[in-house]
Amino acid sequence: MVREIGGPVTWIALPSANANLPGVAAWRGRAVAVADLAALLGAGERLSPPTGRFRTLYLQQGASTLAVPVDTVREPLTIADGDIRPPRVRTEAFCTGELDVEGHTTLIVDLGMILDGHRLAVAGGLH
Amino acid sequence: MVHVDDPRGKWSVSASEVMRIMAAAEWRAAPATDVLASLGPVPWVRSRRVLVLRGARGREIALLAAGALEIADVDPGSVLPLPIALASTVPQISAIVVAPDASLSLLIEPSAVISSSDTVVGEELCPSPS
Repeated sequence: MVREIGGPVTWIALPSANANLPGVAAWRGRAVAVADLAALLGAGERLSPPTGRFRTLYLQQGASTLAVPVDTVREPLTIADGDIRPPRVRTEAFCTGELDVEGHTTLIVDLGMILDGHRLAVAGGLH
Repeated sequence: MVHVDDPRGKWSVSASEVMRIMAAAEWRAAPATDVLASLGPVPWVRSRRVLVLRGARGREIALLAAGALEIADVDPGSVLPLPIALASTVPQISAIVVAPDASLSLLIEPSAVISSSDTVVGEELCPSPS
């Protein structure tokens, strides 16, 4: 799902866009949606164009790509299924589980659900 | 292409769509459309202009340009269509334009811009019973 980890992304806000997907960026010769984790989680400082955060995750969800600006990227972890427990800290649909990493409760987030939810919202708005 | 350096976000329109450019104070018809209205109020700029575009059936579409104008050629490869997930939510934006300095601009689709003088779809076909 993670295609690339890059530096700060230059992006532009779209009028009337969803707060979770506030704008677009150029990546590998095409435009990709930008996701704002702060808006999604309701915590932290919202993204403000034209620059994102120190790092950017480029995620693939089906045919769509999502640019997700983040403060830091630490390291890939291999996690046993048994270490993942049902989410208790957050119960939104995109929070699929949680686990302990170095003594801290860490959320597992399915960012693809942002795009799926956005598509459903758009489809609902069209009917 | 005509670029407008609006402080809320740069936007562009194909030069072939622009019929004329005039000072906002000289525009006497219906109020010009602010295509970035949902991003905040029109910022203060030294000069405001109106881009008059060619609309459907000979109608004119007036867009408020709050910011410096630039007319420049654009490499077609620098025009990137919006992702499908976003295109349907903002039909008035068809693509982003990547400038040589990597800055981005929103490409306006004039046919999808609803101006304040436009008739609401269905308004004439479904008159109120009263």
